[in-house]
Amino acid sequence: MADNNVYIRKIILSVLGFLLLIFSGISFYKHRHLEEHVVLGEGVTEVKKLSDYFDGVKGTINDCNIYILEGKEPGATLFVMGASHPEEPAGRLAPWIFVENGVMEKGRLIVVLSANRSGTTVTRLGGGYPPDYTIPTGWGEQKFRMGDRWANPLDQWPDPEVYIHYPSRQNLAYVDIRNLNRAWPGRPNGTLTEKTCYAFMELIRKEKVDIFIDLHEAELQYPVISTIVAHEKGHELAAVVSMVLTDMGEFNMGMEYSPKSLHGLSHREVGDFSDAISLLFEAPEPFLDATRGKTTREQLLTGKDEFIVKAGEHGLLFEKIDENGWPIDVRVGRHTSAVLMTMEIWTEEHPDMSLVCINVPGYAEVIENGIGYYLKDPFRANPERVIIE
Amino acid sequence: MSMFTYAGIILGVMVSIYIIAKIFKLSTELSMLAAAIAGGLAGGFRIPARHIAEGAMTYLDINLIFITATLFMNILKESGGVAFVVRRILKRFHRSRTLLFILLTLLLLIPGALTGAGSVTVLITGGMVAVVLNYMGISKVRTTAIVFIIAGLSAAAPPVSLWAMMTAAGVNMPYVGFFYPLLIPCVIAALLTIFILGWKGTGTDIEKAFEELPEPPEKMNWLRVILPFIIFLGLVFIGRQWPHSTPVIGLPLMFLCAAVTSFILSPVKVNFFKISGDTVEQLLPLIGTLTCAGILVQIMTLTGVRGLLAVSTVTLPVIVVYASLFFVLPVSEAVLMWGAAPVIGVPLVLLFNTIGLNPIVALAGMSVIWPLGDALPPTAIIGRLTVEIVGYKESYIRFLKACIIPAIIIMIIGTLMVIYSSELGFLTGL
Repeated sequence: MADNNVYIRKIILSVLGFLLLIFSGISFYKHRHLEEHVVLGEGVTEVKKLSDYFDGVKGTINDCNIYILEGKEPGATLFVMGASHPEEPAGRLAPWIFVENGVMEKGRLIVVLSANRSGTTVTRLGGGYPPDYTIPTGWGEQKFRMGDRWANPLDQWPDPEVYIHYPSRQNLAYVDIRNLNRAWPGRPNGTLTEKTCYAFMELIRKEKVDIFIDLHEAELQYPVISTIVAHEKGHELAAVVSMVLTDMGEFNMGMEYSPKSLHGLSHREVGDFSDAISLLFEAPEPFLDATRGKTTREQLLTGKDEFIVKAGEHGLLFEKIDENGWPIDVRVGRHTSAVLMTMEIWTEEHPDMSLVCINVPGYAEVIENGIGYYLKDPFRANPERVIIE
Repeated sequence: MSMFTYAGIILGVMVSIYIIAKIFKLSTELSMLAAAIAGGLAGGFRIPARHIAEGAMTYLDINLIFITATLFMNILKESGGVAFVVRRILKRFHRSRTLLFILLTLLLLIPGALTGAGSVTVLITGGMVAVVLNYMGISKVRTTAIVFIIAGLSAAAPPVSLWAMMTAAGVNMPYVGFFYPLLIPCVIAALLTIFILGWKGTGTDIEKAFEELPEPPEKMNWLRVILPFIIFLGLVFIGRQWPHSTPVIGLPLMFLCAAVTSFILSPVKVNFFKISGDTVEQLLPLIGTLTCAGILVQIMTLTGVRGLLAVSTVTLPVIVVYASLFFVLPVSEAVLMWGAAPVIGVPLVLLFNTIGLNPIVALAGMSVIWPLGDALPPTAIIGRLTVEIVGYKESYIRFLKACIIPAIIIMIIGTLMVIYSSELGFLTGL
């Protein structure tokens, strides 16, 4: 009798386990294979693949699209990178607006929307993240993959017991071997993440990039927030951008020096291993805070959270927050404005190597119209101008 | 409804279901699963299959380390390697109580330090060390207390300390710089425990001890014992010395290589598949606990319960936090086992970091206190296991009383490490 009971219990648990496998498997599959459409704006003159610069990433999930917006007149080359950390959506949506709307009058703009494409196909274990989020537009809704800080273990596993960065040999947390922003400058025979960084370095070197900008978001309990982190080659540029943005009253933007002893980060290594000026922009994202309340799509997009407000009242945050939260439009607007301002300040200082971009909304416009206003309907666009990201 | 009310209700539901499940004699892991599912339902997420599966995978790597490391230890035990080492130590050092204590402490610390599990210490060396301690004239209750306390400390000791690893992962902090902040208090506390509880015993009765200890195979020797460790440490060394010329194989495969070496070198025939099966069966409650703790934490994060606990903790007056560590940490461990690290540990480390303490040393201090909860109900897994392995048959309360003095010492050491973490920052070497 007792044996029978155990047998029945095992069957029931196996069936429940199988059902869990089916339903969760469908969700994971849909997430990993969600097709995101990009409507190429009139400014996009060419779409390349990352493997065009280093064939070591060919055929891998990280062989992402490289959008090139060649200006009508020559000038400098700016490279804007999104989704270095795919759990930071403003860092991905801001460059999306550049690709679908931007037109370069002078100079050249290179944009990446999914730098760590593998990381866009997985959500954080234990984090309770939604697999996707949608942005309302005039023509319906556009769905985007929510991602993680690290590459998907399905694409790179196992992790070592300690991650030793190349070439500095600095010891980092084992999991950061899958963190794109801890693997710069990468190496050609390394892990997928290291190869991806190496491929981007090749792109930066071959395309003679003058300025490199890595877009991020940070939790409010993290001291490096609402700021530009600049390599020493970009101190002057970053300082002026920060000063002008803050003085114009649009929003407060700080500026910090890239620590020379902190390795693997783009603001340090891109500057050290190429001729480019490397900058990293941080916007606030309450969704990332460990003290956040309910983990939902709504919280991700509105940035409203009573618990974080409470933490702020006790002086535990490095950025202010109130009942209005940090809406995605505000976060994306900070990034678009900061990139546009970087072009403007650069052009003032280098009139012979200008960077002039039109049709991209700044902070106030993004907030006024919403991001959706700037996203194009892929089903009404010329199919030849629609790319799957 | 405010977020505080919403999350508070869900927390209430989860706690109630956990208690009800325990009343109905469900295991800790199933009780945690029930609480997680109830939390998902109460939070309006129905039964969130994706989150349950994702949460269950949270500690997959740690589970694999657990399994392979314990397999290695079990093969070493089956091949007679552990008995060989205990006998040799006893034979060589039985005249010096101090030296014997130091070596027995080392024997108890190594398995747990390598695997992150106090249960592995109890199972691998606990029983044999207990035999030696008994024949050194130490009472059964004190022997049980010594094995339990040092087994707990071995789990907190480096290189694998699950509490520190899980909490560090929860706050995006590298698991780097923990070696000495964990090693020093664990070794000091372990030595104090064995000397305080064991010093009053009589002389060592080596003849009787040898009669009771298992006889190692004739061909067993130091090389057969040490070579698997050399293989393991060699792989770790190669990975660290030439990280960019060697493939990443991960700790589980390293432990597996050591296990296979031990298997090949065994002087007696060892059934690899049987030991593998027994190892998984032996670890099932712990693997289940870690898996279900992952699910529980995922649902708590999803519903905002983790945020509620986190914000409630970080907004407490710091003095209250310091003063309650000795109580909160063991109790959270008793209820959630390792699940306590991401639930309680994460907000505490965030708080300590914000007020300018050294988060690595503070977390190491907390990690030393946590294992004390493994003797407390409702789980008490390691406590019960120790009682069983050592063969202590009297009152469980008496065993707990025997643990009090070393427990107080550990609580003081851990709390002081938190309070003076900034001053002790040099221990991290960073």
